[in-house]
Amino acid sequence: MRLAAVGVLTGWGEGVAALPDDARRAARGRRVVALSPPPSSERLRRATRECRLGVAAVRSLLAAAGLEPAAIAGADTALLYVSAGAYGAANRAFIESPGGALHFPYTAPSAVPAEVTIEFGLTGPYIILIGGGAVTIEALAQAERLLGQGSCERALVLAVETFAECADLYARARWAVGSPLVEAAACALFTPGPPVLTVGPAPGGSRLTDLARRRAGETFACGPLIGLALARETGDDPWSVSGQWRGRSAALLAR
Amino acid sequence: MLLRPEPVVAVAAGVVTPLGTDLDAFWSALVTGIDGISVIEGFPVADLRVPRGGEIKKLPPSLAVAPGACRATLLLEAAARDLRARASLDAAPARRAVVLGTALGGVEQLERALAGDRSARRAAAALYDSPARALARRLDARGPVLTVSTACASGATALGVGADLLRAGRADLVVAGGYDALCRFVMRGFDALRSLTRERVRPFDRRRSGLLLGEAAALVLLAREADASGPRLGRLLGHASTSDGAHIAAPDPQGRGLEASVRAAMRHAGVTADDIEFVSAHGTATPLNDRIETAVIKRVLGPRARAIPVNSIKGALGHTMGAAAALEAIMCLLASRHGVVPPTLGFEEPDPECDLDYVPRLPRASRPRVSLSTSAGFGGCNAALILEGATR
Repeated sequence: MRLAAVGVLTGWGEGVAALPDDARRAARGRRVVALSPPPSSERLRRATRECRLGVAAVRSLLAAAGLEPAAIAGADTALLYVSAGAYGAANRAFIESPGGALHFPYTAPSAVPAEVTIEFGLTGPYIILIGGGAVTIEALAQAERLLGQGSCERALVLAVETFAECADLYARARWAVGSPLVEAAACALFTPGPPVLTVGPAPGGSRLTDLARRRAGETFACGPLIGLALARETGDDPWSVSGQWRGRSAALLAR
Repeated sequence: MLLRPEPVVAVAAGVVTPLGTDLDAFWSALVTGIDGISVIEGFPVADLRVPRGGEIKKLPPSLAVAPGACRATLLLEAAARDLRARASLDAAPARRAVVLGTALGGVEQLERALAGDRSARRAAAALYDSPARALARRLDARGPVLTVSTACASGATALGVGADLLRAGRADLVVAGGYDALCRFVMRGFDALRSLTRERVRPFDRRRSGLLLGEAAALVLLAREADASGPRLGRLLGHASTSDGAHIAAPDPQGRGLEASVRAAMRHAGVTADDIEFVSAHGTATPLNDRIETAVIKRVLGPRARAIPVNSIKGALGHTMGAAAALEAIMCLLASRHGVVPPTLGFEEPDPECDLDYVPRLPRASRPRVSLSTSAGFGGCNAALILEGATR
């Protein structure tokens, strides 16, 4: 498959140009670097912050590639969504605010990709996976499979991670997560191409993913997609990205 | 001529459900029309409009239940024991994969983490992929471990993703399926949505007034046809998952996403409407779902839709969310094995808008070879499976 476009929003700003050289130093002791979504439409007034971030990331991708939303609308675009914990904020709000204003369906991990499908009219193949970077690699492999078997003409892989609302919970397990935690929403659009990728374990990681981690910080599922965005900057072609999550690793490597 | 993908075999299955805590008890209860709905006893429900559901009252006694144990993980452990009693995992650990669907993950653990348990372990257990990771450890599965969360279609999508891993050569055995445990979080949520009925669950019935939730775990051991030499339940011929792109909580009014999913699964399986001999419907018993789903089945299967049985097992055990589609897939395969289609418990009075053969009251003597199973969930998630019962 071919990488057609990438969109990246992080707590540092829009695009890889906004990333510092060293996230840890730039965070100046902050455990969480938060990301506010840009103003959104009236339709999204009830939507959660993570939903609006997902929509904003796709808008960023379209703008960066000079594409109109119609270019991805319809049944020919697959959506593969990954998140390790963006649902945490809504789950917590629902638990802690009995009778609160949060609409229950927004607690589901499927809420973020649902708002993206509604906003952009996506009705094609649809997979939602839970986990961090290693799982994003699986989503990328699924994208290549769907493109390869002709199930779609485009595949959009989207990841969103938010941390601020559950920062105290992540702090309890700080030995297990990187630092700083940087909120992010990232996506990559793929089109059919020769099967050039192979997926497998990656105990050693990859240069691009290491670079993404150093510059962006800990972004869980967004890491490999930020790595792809960096590939455009570094000129890595063919590219290779990897991901780690809770003791497991995976990499997408050029054959 | 349609080209079929490499066949994937369902070697064996294991379940734990409100109807029974193993596969034999589950099947027997489905066929004899046992009602698995009861007043929930596991957590406080006095403040809810509807305090009933498909709760598993007693887990298998061999399970060691530690205080504060994650119920979702326990359900998976029970289903895995049932599965392992029926088949062995004959593959190297690195070639074993786990793919589970869930709508709720370990959210009950988040309730506890926020209620005062400040341990790091509890916080980590609240992540939705924790139960799948726990099962993988239990099975010594060191290949891919994936959690799918396409809401109430999760179990079907997980089976499909599991089959894809096999076809891609990423694993030699995949334990795939779904689970969800009842907890206050989800009961409160559906109660607030007014989706739960105070009456009986009546899929496709004129008087249907909503669903009741249930809890379960359902696991299927999948392998490539070439690697599966012994007895099997059947084959997963094809699958597809699609999005509605329509509404955050309601299905597309015309069921276009579900229709696309069914058509794509049939294409993937290389079957036509004439090949389908049974439909296991999502059949939630909500006024909207059952009407839309009936229309979709009629559009896709044409005249064939009226000639074959269509059932929903949610009248018997409630809507088991992430487990539902995996249970229904297993039910399709067991129907082929036993030559019996379970009835739609609660269906009594026909609705003019739901005018198919829903297998009322009694089980039907029928041995469907190829079945279609449909699923849908919040956020416009749809999934369809095409299954073939074993012929040997």
